[in-house]
Amino acid sequence: MTMVEYFSFLPYGKYAFYVWLAYGVAILTVIFLFLNARRNHNIAINSLKNKYSRGND
Amino acid sequence: MWKWIQRQASPKVFYQTCINLRSWFFWPFIGFIAVGLYWALMVSPADYQQGDGYRIIFIHVPSAILSMMIYAIMAIAGGIGLIWQIKMAEIVAKVSAPIGAAFTIVALATGAIWGKPMWGAWWVWDARLTSELILLFLYLAYMSLNSAFDNPRTAAKSSSILAIVGLVNLPIIHYSVKWWNTLHQGYSVGTGGLKDPDMLIALSLMFVASIFLYTTLVVIKAKTEVLIREQNARWVKDEVQGVIL
Repeated sequence: MTMVEYFSFLPYGKYAFYVWLAYGVAILTVIFLFLNARRNHNIAINSLKNKYSRGND
Repeated sequence: MWKWIQRQASPKVFYQTCINLRSWFFWPFIGFIAVGLYWALMVSPADYQQGDGYRIIFIHVPSAILSMMIYAIMAIAGGIGLIWQIKMAEIVAKVSAPIGAAFTIVALATGAIWGKPMWGAWWVWDARLTSELILLFLYLAYMSLNSAFDNPRTAAKSSSILAIVGLVNLPIIHYSVKWWNTLHQGYSVGTGGLKDPDMLIALSLMFVASIFLYTTLVVIKAKTEVLIREQNARWVKDEVQGVIL
C-alpha cells in the first residue's frame, strides 16, 4: 500500500497525500520561522546581559 | 509620511516602530490566513483538469511571488544602505534574507509535491525551476557572505553588492515560462490563468496573508538585530537590562 493510497481517506482523495503534505510543509516552515526568531532574540538578550554584567561596556 | 520615514534612520525610533507595528502585521496575517485557507480548501471548486491537486497552487504561487519580492526588497534596502549609509536599511536587508530563503524553499517544495502527481516527477531541469533554485542559492550566498565578516558595516556592504548583482535573476525567473518552452505551466494570474472567481479570491487572500507574514517576521527579527548592532548605546543597555527572560 503506497502513501497515496493510505491517505486517500482524507478530503481530496487521490491527491490528499500531496495536498496535505504541501500545506504541512508550509505550516511547519512558518512555525519554524517564528520559533527561530524568538530563539535568536533570547540568545541575543542573554549574551548582551552577560556582556553588560562584566562591566566592560 | 516622508518625515516619518527619515526618522526611522535613528536606531531607537526604528526599534520602537518595530514594536508598534508588530501586532498591526501579526493579527491581519492570522485573519487573512484563516479566511484564505477556508477559501482555498473549502470554497474553491476542484479544477477541471487537475482535480483537487491544484489546491497546492494557493501556497505555491504566493510563496514564489514573495520569494522574488523579498529579494527585490533586500537588494533595494541593501542599495539604500550603500548609497545613504543608513544602518537601519542594512538591518532590513539582513533580516529579510532568511525569510526570503524560507519562502523560496516552500515554493520549491510545494512545486515538487505538485509535480509528482501532475508530471510524474518531483524535479525536472526546467528553466523556471532552475532559475528559482538559483534564487535560493543567491539567498544562501548572501547569508553566508553577510556572516563572514566581524564588522557589520563591511558585511552589509559586500553582501548588498552581491544582492544587487543577483537582481538580474528576477526577470529571468518571471519571464522563464515565456522565453523558453517550459514544462512549468504559464502565469496563474492574467490571460490563460485561473478563471474561477473563488480561486482568484483564495489566491489573493493567501497572497495578502503572505505579505503580512513577511512584514511580521521582519519587524520581529529587526528588533533583535537593532539591539545587537547598537549594543554600545546607552538606551540598548537600559532596554536589555529591563528585559526579564
